[in-house]
Amino acid sequence: MADKLLVPLASSKKRKSLNSLANQQTLDEFYNQPRGEAIQESNVARPLSPSIKKPKTSIESTHNIMSQSAGIANGSNGKLGFVTPATSSSDPSTAKVLSNNNLRAKAAPKKLVIKNFKVKPQLPPNYENETWGRLKRAVHAIHNHEKVPESLEMLYKSCENLCHHKMADRLYTRLREECANHVKEELDKLSSNQTTGIYFLEMVGQAWADYCNQMIMIRSIFLYLDRTYVLQSSGIFSLWDMGLELFREQLMSQTSLRDKIVGGCIDVITTERSGDTINSSLLQSLIRIFIDLSIYDVFEEPFLQKTRLFYRSEGEDLVHKRDMAEYLHHVDQRLKEEGIERINNYVDASSKPKLVKIVETEMLERHVATILEKGFQALLQEDRKDELALMYRLLSRVNALDKLRECMIAELKKTGSSIVNDQARDSTMVQSLLDYKLKIDAILAESFDHNQQFINSMRDGFESFINSRQNKPAELIAKFVDSKLRSGNKTATDEELESLLDRVLILFRFIHGKDVFEAFYKRDLAKRLLLGKSASIDAEKSMLSKLKTECGPGFTSKLEGMFKDIDISRDLMATFKNHKSYENTKDMQIYVNVLTQGFWPTYPPVEITLPSDMANAQEVFKNFYLSKHNGRRLMWQNNLGHCVVKASFPKGKKELLVSLFQTVVLLLFNDKQRDHLTYNEIKEMTNIGEFLLHFATTLIMVAKYTVHAEEKELVRTLQSLACGNARVLKKTPHGREVNPTDSFSYNEAFTASLYRLKINTIQLKETVEENTSTRERVFQDRQYQVDAAIVRIMKTRKTLSHNMLINELFEQLRFPVKATDIKKRIESLIDREYMERESEDSSSYRYLA
Amino acid sequence: MKVKVNAWTVPAFWSWDVENEDVCGICQVAYDACCPTCTVPGDGCPLIWGECSHVFHMHCLIKWLNAPNSQEQCPMDRTPWRTAAAQ
Repeated sequence: MADKLLVPLASSKKRKSLNSLANQQTLDEFYNQPRGEAIQESNVARPLSPSIKKPKTSIESTHNIMSQSAGIANGSNGKLGFVTPATSSSDPSTAKVLSNNNLRAKAAPKKLVIKNFKVKPQLPPNYENETWGRLKRAVHAIHNHEKVPESLEMLYKSCENLCHHKMADRLYTRLREECANHVKEELDKLSSNQTTGIYFLEMVGQAWADYCNQMIMIRSIFLYLDRTYVLQSSGIFSLWDMGLELFREQLMSQTSLRDKIVGGCIDVITTERSGDTINSSLLQSLIRIFIDLSIYDVFEEPFLQKTRLFYRSEGEDLVHKRDMAEYLHHVDQRLKEEGIERINNYVDASSKPKLVKIVETEMLERHVATILEKGFQALLQEDRKDELALMYRLLSRVNALDKLRECMIAELKKTGSSIVNDQARDSTMVQSLLDYKLKIDAILAESFDHNQQFINSMRDGFESFINSRQNKPAELIAKFVDSKLRSGNKTATDEELESLLDRVLILFRFIHGKDVFEAFYKRDLAKRLLLGKSASIDAEKSMLSKLKTECGPGFTSKLEGMFKDIDISRDLMATFKNHKSYENTKDMQIYVNVLTQGFWPTYPPVEITLPSDMANAQEVFKNFYLSKHNGRRLMWQNNLGHCVVKASFPKGKKELLVSLFQTVVLLLFNDKQRDHLTYNEIKEMTNIGEFLLHFATTLIMVAKYTVHAEEKELVRTLQSLACGNARVLKKTPHGREVNPTDSFSYNEAFTASLYRLKINTIQLKETVEENTSTRERVFQDRQYQVDAAIVRIMKTRKTLSHNMLINELFEQLRFPVKATDIKKRIESLIDREYMERESEDSSSYRYLA
Repeated sequence: MKVKVNAWTVPAFWSWDVENEDVCGICQVAYDACCPTCTVPGDGCPLIWGECSHVFHMHCLIKWLNAPNSQEQCPMDRTPWRTAAAQ
């Protein structure tokens, strides 16, 4: 009964232990649990068996051997093979002990004398062979998936006994042989099997699983052997390892079978790579075979080889066929599959770096150039940050970031110079640059991980393309700032303006010729301040302080001087208004900005005949000023004067914001007697137009006007009044152009929707001539700086070769200069006897004190 | 049409009342700029007129007059320095 229980228990255990092979705990459980139960059960049938077992006396061992041999005898006769030792051991001897026990309980104690055997107990002569025979049958049964003919406990005992009698080594050898035969048989069966593909693999998997279970079972039976003999002797594999060893040997010797399995596995993996679903647990168990047998190389090597081929062809195929973003996503997916899914599902973790490396090499490294060439530009232009980030991540895996960076610089330079060098788009250049910078910054931050090297390269790129066109960008940046700081630009809030200025300043930082910027900025600032066009003094001051931090106080000292002049003038005007002489100018309300020369841009002297009351007002102020400041002179800059004029038209009163010149012309029409004035009359009465304004030869007043060369100030003024948007004057004959033969009258029908009209915008617009003169002034200043630098260097060095001098100059000068220009300056200095050529070496110069 | 000027703004450059583009005889810097020790032209760095008709940056002249070998003479014509009265 006990064994009937034992066998099912064992077999259920057998199923359970499929997955936890060679697990010590399992083995112990396997052995202990059923045995414990068997003992409990057998207490009924053999109540005394514990008392027989526990004392380690000779009785026990003898008895054991006897009962064992009885069991053997019975077992060999038994048809069912379930003859238990318990039934055979319910013999008289047990009964006797039982009755003894009863006696002991009732009668007085009586001495029991135990004597040693006289004859040393001997094993039956063919005990070993017979026992082995039984064990062998059991092993056979296990191998053939049959029921084990005997009680497992008995088998265990038999093994234990054989070990006790020093027959362990032979037992081990026999067992090994038996298993070896079995393995060979099994593998031969697989070898000769003609099925292929997944069915074959399933068979292999099944065979292995069976083999493992069998080995567990065998090991359990031979556990005593495993724990004593194997442990104590060196150089012998434990039963489990022996099983693996045998399998390995066989598998390695049967190359074709091995290759078939490996090939099958790889085929399945390839199927999965191609997108089909596969039985990954089967694959896992098959690959586990190789891992367990420590012959993972056998699988891994061809597997990796195949992988390489697969990805090589896939890479070459897709990199050309697919859209680059798609390709990158695909590669990313592949990396995930190989690096995570495949590893998690069946391939050994040790292959992970190799697999990933293969995908990287075959799909990325080999195609870096193509990927960048084909994908980068498009992705950048379309501003696809995610894909760019992906590209960055992937290329960083194959150390191709330098190439990506180079590509980025090239792309930056290309796009940048197209923005910078397109003369047709000068008007939007700065805005485009700002937008572009913003875009690139975002990409650097979001896609390129704030990589400092990339940021530096980006700066280099911007610097190089912004300076690829000399001076113009600096000029346009200055004008851009002007347009933002000028009143009427109400679109931006203070914060927006502030951040915009910060961004502009970053562009400014890239500019080499900062003096050009300064000149234009200064000119525009002057106009804003003098014409009262500055949107916000706070914004102006903040821009100034930004420039100061950027370029140092030397750069901004003149600009600061301008603000100071404006401030001083305000105080001065306050004093003037309280002065007694102010009364004389009251209806004129003159406001004067007294400027310091040197801070401000220079303006050509302008003469104009002012109406007497205006001239008087100027005279009054001048006297007031000179009485405050001894030893000074005042020079009026009438071309920068502007007025608020009230004009009453038949159709309503208007307030006009006009330039001083415009005012002077308008005032002429106050005379009722003359409602028509010819060009020449106006010229005579105002004196405007006698001079050709140095910087005003062309006019871009309103976009509608064609640009004229050689246009005179008077023409400009009349044009603005008679042909502009607000036609205060009428011109005969009609037309856009103002000719000396024209005559003018005031426009009675003038009407406008607004009460306040600005007609003095003409003053704000810069002319081409003005730009040229500003530029020329910058170059003039540069020449002086070059001269100064040459003299400075020569003064310290006394004699210096031409090349050395040029090199030192390039270091000192903070704006771009051409070597030919420097040569001219050197010639000029030689002419002026600051230095001379060395008599013996004409390529060197000597400083003349 | 009736036109009336309500208010007008006009800038004017001030300069020292000396010949244009001339330089201080001591520091060789333009009168309209300032002496080498100052940074801003204006009342902070005024000119000084001598009775001998020579003009200098005031700071330059004071430095000169304080020098032991100047003997309080005008550096241009070596006549005793006398500051001209205000005009």
